[in-house]
Amino acid sequence: MQIGLDGGEYSWVLNLVFFAFIMIMSLYGQKIQMWQWLKQIEAGLIELKRMAIESRQSAIDTFKEHGTEEEEVAKEIDRWLDYFTIMPVDLDPAGILKRLDHLLDQRRDRFQEFVTDLTPDASNSERMNLENTLEVTQVLSLIFRIVRHFYLLGKKTGSTIMVMQVQMIMPELLRLAKAYSDAMDAFSQGKPIGDGIGPLVVTKLAREYDATPETYVHEVTKEVGYYPIEVEGRTVYAMRATGPGGTVGKPGFAVKKIVEDNKGKIARIITVDAALKLEGEEMGRVSEGTGAAIGDPGPEKHAIEQAATDNQIGIEAIVVKEDEAAAVGVLDKRVLDSLPEVIDRIKIAIRKRTKPGDKIILVGIGNTIGIGL
Amino acid sequence: MGIISKILGVVLTASGALILTHAMDPNVGSLSFVLFVVGLLVMSVGFGLLTAGKQKKEVKASLPTVTEIRCNGCDFKEIRDYEKGDYILKPLEMKCPKCSGKMTIEGVYVVREEPDKDRF
Ligand SMILES: [Zn+2]
Repeated sequence: MQIGLDGGEYSWVLNLVFFAFIMIMSLYGQKIQMWQWLKQIEAGLIELKRMAIESRQSAIDTFKEHGTEEEEVAKEIDRWLDYFTIMPVDLDPAGILKRLDHLLDQRRDRFQEFVTDLTPDASNSERMNLENTLEVTQVLSLIFRIVRHFYLLGKKTGSTIMVMQVQMIMPELLRLAKAYSDAMDAFSQGKPIGDGIGPLVVTKLAREYDATPETYVHEVTKEVGYYPIEVEGRTVYAMRATGPGGTVGKPGFAVKKIVEDNKGKIARIITVDAALKLEGEEMGRVSEGTGAAIGDPGPEKHAIEQAATDNQIGIEAIVVKEDEAAAVGVLDKRVLDSLPEVIDRIKIAIRKRTKPGDKIILVGIGNTIGIGL
Repeated sequence: MGIISKILGVVLTASGALILTHAMDPNVGSLSFVLFVVGLLVMSVGFGLLTAGKQKKEVKASLPTVTEIRCNGCDFKEIRDYEKGDYILKPLEMKCPKCSGKMTIEGVYVVREEPDKDRF
């Protein structure tokens, strides 16, 4: 074989091809790259659209079981898919958490009103599950609409940076959308999800100390209550949101309220929650730390931290590691199997870091869907 | 579409390879560049056809959710398919077949397959 050098009568062909290649690539390389990115986004968009449509349909199917015609349900859900909440202005940060909390309350009330209007025959806990179903549908619809926006805009303006950014975060968006899409089944049927491990731990522990659904004190704050239990001479307020309907309630404010009601008597606050695991970490791994383990937009966590700081109360967190798919999807066996260890660690915390006679708040944070009292 | 394009892919890849080997033959002389380029082209098209559509994974059926029921009195345990209305810690009407005590749902879960262990 001989390439290029002295060349035969046909070597000009190779040279021509070579130069044509260089010219095309330097002149149109960017365009070709853009075209490739747009194609990749398009493939992702098709997938996102499919998930959005499927979740909308399964929301409609679930809603129509409770006494409203399918057409009416579809119309109302479409009206609700792009419901938005405007975050409070942060130019004047004073009192921003109060304002945010107010907005979140308002939003929740509108959601409840919407679901109640559409499901005259449903029970309370079914309605809570339907609210969750609606939220998942909204998330999937939102992801699809945003990606579509950037895709179309990028195509229209030919802006490389816009297209490039979407193409780069596409795998992450697809992963997130897939987690939510898989979760639809859990929410629409009321199955427990991985995020519910916090409340489950609390109830399991409380039952070891003779708590029953009847001893649960309801509505300390909206949809949150506690089991009053005695653990080795300490009084423990074992707090969680009410189940088995899907709700996270307002546990932060419940902690604040109990602290205020027992001025100076609370010795420790222990929060239990699910946490996102790092890739490579074991699913269901239990780990502990300092602080309030609660993933709300801000007001709840602030309430716990403020109450702890004002009264100099020790605060610690125990979390169970899960990935997104497990946290919003049906409870994973490995997460459920972490229960004994979490309960053990709580007992150790109580034994080592409090004295007999102390009062302790144990709070399980998470969505109580499918987890009974 | 699937099988035809696969066969075409195999044929093209093979003929590309043939052309390439032919181009290596010193007797071909000056035409060897052209043959070389053509062989590479044909082969890459063949490979493209062979590997096309491979990234499409078959859609996995969603994992079955199971309900784990335990007796409050003894160590009897039963695992059955999830039924609508099941929730964790739900007290059940059914009696334990061993000691006819009361039974409770102790778990509602899926068993996800463990991903392949990474080296780290
Ligand atoms: Zn039994």
